[in-house]
Amino acid sequence: MNCETFQLKELVGEPLEIREVLRCLLHTIVFHRALGLVRPKDVECELFELTYVQCGDHELDKKIEEKIDQFIAWVDKHPNKKSQICLSFYEVKNKHPSWFGNKTERFYWEQWYINLHVLNPKSHTKRHNSKAPLSTGENTSEEGSSRRTALESSLREVLFQIISFVNEKKDHIPPVQNSEIISFPYEISTPSASDSSFGWHADVLKRMLQTGHPSMLS
Amino acid sequence: MASPSEADRTEQIVVHFLHKTLHTVLASRIPHIRLAPRPSSGKRDRWFNLDLGDLPGPIAQHGAFMDPLVIDVLLTPRRDASESGAGEVVVERWIAQCVPWHGAPQHPHDVGSFQPRTYKKSVILLRSLYALLRLLPAHRIFRMLCSSGQPYNYDLGYRVYSFAPPFSRAEGADLKQYSFSPVETLFGQLVVSVQYRPSLAAFNLEISPLMSPMIITDYIGSPAAEPSRPFPSSLPNWASRPTTSQNPPRGFRPSAVVAPQFDRPHSWNAAPMAHHPLSSPHDRVAKVGSSPPEHYGRLGSNQRSLSDRKANFKFDDFRLSPPFSTSTSPSPPTLGGHSLQSRLQMETAPMSIPMSATGKSQMHRSPNLSDPFKSLLPRPSPRSTRPDLSSQESPSKSRSFRKTEGLSSGGDIYSNLHMYAAYKGLKDGPDDSGRFSALSSGGSPRYAFSRSSSRFSMQDDLDDTDFSYPFAVDDVDTSDSHTRSPDVKDAEYSSSHKSQKAAVGMLVHMLKTAPPLRQDQSCSSQSSDLNGEVSLNTSVLSRKTSDALEELQAYKEMKNFLLSESGAMTKLQESLQQKKRDKE
Repeated sequence: MNCETFQLKELVGEPLEIREVLRCLLHTIVFHRALGLVRPKDVECELFELTYVQCGDHELDKKIEEKIDQFIAWVDKHPNKKSQICLSFYEVKNKHPSWFGNKTERFYWEQWYINLHVLNPKSHTKRHNSKAPLSTGENTSEEGSSRRTALESSLREVLFQIISFVNEKKDHIPPVQNSEIISFPYEISTPSASDSSFGWHADVLKRMLQTGHPSMLS
Repeated sequence: MASPSEADRTEQIVVHFLHKTLHTVLASRIPHIRLAPRPSSGKRDRWFNLDLGDLPGPIAQHGAFMDPLVIDVLLTPRRDASESGAGEVVVERWIAQCVPWHGAPQHPHDVGSFQPRTYKKSVILLRSLYALLRLLPAHRIFRMLCSSGQPYNYDLGYRVYSFAPPFSRAEGADLKQYSFSPVETLFGQLVVSVQYRPSLAAFNLEISPLMSPMIITDYIGSPAAEPSRPFPSSLPNWASRPTTSQNPPRGFRPSAVVAPQFDRPHSWNAAPMAHHPLSSPHDRVAKVGSSPPEHYGRLGSNQRSLSDRKANFKFDDFRLSPPFSTSTSPSPPTLGGHSLQSRLQMETAPMSIPMSATGKSQMHRSPNLSDPFKSLLPRPSPRSTRPDLSSQESPSKSRSFRKTEGLSSGGDIYSNLHMYAAYKGLKDGPDDSGRFSALSSGGSPRYAFSRSSSRFSMQDDLDDTDFSYPFAVDDVDTSDSHTRSPDVKDAEYSSSHKSQKAAVGMLVHMLKTAPPLRQDQSCSSQSSDLNGEVSLNTSVLSRKTSDALEELQAYKEMKNFLLSESGAMTKLQESLQQKKRDKE
C-alpha cells in the first residue's frame, strides 16, 4: 500500500491567526477521513470570514487543541521560523511473531503537511515602527488588516486544495474496520520544543522507513 | 454480468446519492430549510453517514434516476408577489448525475468489494461537497439570511430540473466551474459539479426597509408547525419557489398535490420498500410529490420480490455499509456490518427516563428532608438496635415514656436534654426509634416516647411558621410501621404533609428555647408526659448549684478560720518572744 503525501501551500501569520488556521485545516482534513456517522457542525472562524466543518467528536477536538497549544509553545521559543505540522493516517498491523514478542507496526497511508511561517508580532511591529515613526499606528493597523485579508484568501485556497486532494486520490484509503466516527487512527506531529530541527526530520525519516516497502527494509 | 441484487443495490446507492446531494445543497443554501425544526421521531438518515436531519416536507420532483439532477440556487430581489421571477440571478448551479458508461457497461472483477468501495468513495465525495458549499461566496449570503431576524432586500431560492437550461453567454462568462472527481458505479460514474459566481459584491445585500412587519401565522419554522406539512402557499414567492416557474422543467409536477410525510428507506421501517420505485404503481402515485427518490429508478415494470433484493455479497470486511432496505423485519439485513446496524438501531431508540427513578430519587431524598437534625445528631446506631425496639417491645410499651430508665443509669443531663430536643424535632419516620436508641447510647439504653397528643400540639405550633420547603415530599411509610399503634399511624398519615415544615420549625424552636439555658417553667407548658422530666432536670441543676454554693461557703469559713488561727499564732509567738527578752 502506498502512502500519499500532500503538501499544502504555506500560510503566513501571527500566532493568534495561526491557531485559527490550524483549527480550520486540521478539522477539515479529519472531516474528510471521519467516515463514521457524522452530524456535521459548522464553525465560523473568529478571525476570518470563513466557515469550516467539524465532526463533532469531543476527543478529536481536545486532541487538536492540545496539539495546537504544543505548536504555539514551540513557536514562542522559535519565533519567525518556518515550520510544519504533519497529520498522518495509518493502519496498525501485527508483525510476525519474533523472539521479542508480537509487535505492532504502523503503516502510514496518508500524510498531510501543513506548512506555516509564524511571525513574531513584537518584532514585526518594531520593524515597521522604525521605518515610519510618525504614523506607526495607522500603518501597522492597515498592514495588519491587509495581511489578514491575504491570509484569509490563502486559507481559502488551501481549503480548496484539501478538497481537491481528497477527491483526486481515494484508492489508497484502506477499508473501514470500525463504526466509530473517526474511522482511521491518526497522528498529529508538531515540532517539539526539545527537538532540534534535525531531530524532527529524523522522526519524519523514521516514519518514512516504516511506511516503505518491505524490500526497502531488507 | 451483474446480478439483480447488485443492480438493485447500485440503484439504491445512486438514488440516495442524488437525494443526499439535493438535501445537502438545499440545507446549505435555503434558509427556511436550514432553520426547519428537526422532527422529534429520533430517526436519523444514515445514508452516506452524513446526518443532516430530515427535509421539512416535499422539495421537488425529478425524473428517472439516471437523469441529471440540476439545482439552481437563485438570488432574488424581494418584491411583490406579482413580480415573481423578475430579477432573479442564478448564483450557483449544481449538477449531479450518474453518467452511464459509454458502450458496454464495465463490470469489475471483484464485485464483492466494488460496491463497498463505491459507497466509501461516495461518502467522501459528499463530505467534500458539504465542505465546498461552505467555501463558496453564496454561503455568506446564506449565513446572513439565517442569522438575521430581519428581512433583507434579497433572498435565496432554488429550482430543480432534470435538464440544465443553458446559460447565456454573458451569464456563462461570469461563472466559474468546479468538478469533483467521479465515483465509479456499476451503471456509470457519479459526477458532481458546480458553476458558481466567484463574487457577489455586485449584489448589495442590506436589510430591507420596504417590508412592513407581518406575522406569518403558519411560518414553517414555528414549533407548532408540522415539519411534514406541505409547503404552504401563503409564504411569499421569494421564500420558496421550488417548482413553480415560467418554464417548467421536464418531469415537473405541481407541488400543490398534498403529499404524505416523506419517508426514508430505513431497514426498520414496517414497509421499507414502499417507497421503492419498483413498488406497485398505485403506491407510487399515492406518494407523488413527497420525495425525489420516488421518481428515480423507473427501470420498468419489473416487479422483484423482497427476497431477491437481499445482498448476495457481504460487507463482512467493510464496516462502512449503506443502510440498504432489504427486508420487512426491523432486524438488520444479512450484511456484515452488524455492529454498525446494531449501533444504528440503538441510536434510534428513544430515551425515556423512567418515572420510578425520579420517584425513587424523591423517595430517597425524603429521609434526608424529613430528618433535618441528622447532621446535628450523633451517628445513629446500627439498624440492629431498631429491631430490638420494634420486635422485642410490645407496642404499648413502646408508646410509654420511660423516665426512670433514661435517668437511672446515671446518664449525664446533656444526653437527656438532647433527647428532649430531638423529640421536639421528631418526624414521622421509621428512623425515629432508631435515632432515639442511638442517642440513649450514652446513657439510657432504650428510650421510647409517645407520639400521640404531644406531637400534634407541636405540629400546631409549627404550622404557624411561614417556612415552606420547595421540594417537600410526603414521607414514605415503610415496613417498620408495624411497630406503631394504629391511632398513631393514622395521626402520622394525616400530618405527614406538614412534616417538613414541622421539622424545620422544630429546629428553630429548639434553638430559640434551648432547654439547658432556660430554667424557667415555660418548658413545663409542653406535653404532660414531659413535665416530670423537665422538673427533674431543673432540680438536678439546682442541686448542683446549691452544692457548689455550700462548698464555697465552707471554703470561706475555712479560710476565715485559718486566717484567724494564723493571727492567733502570731500573737502567741510575739508573747513568747517578749517573755524571753524579759528573762534576759
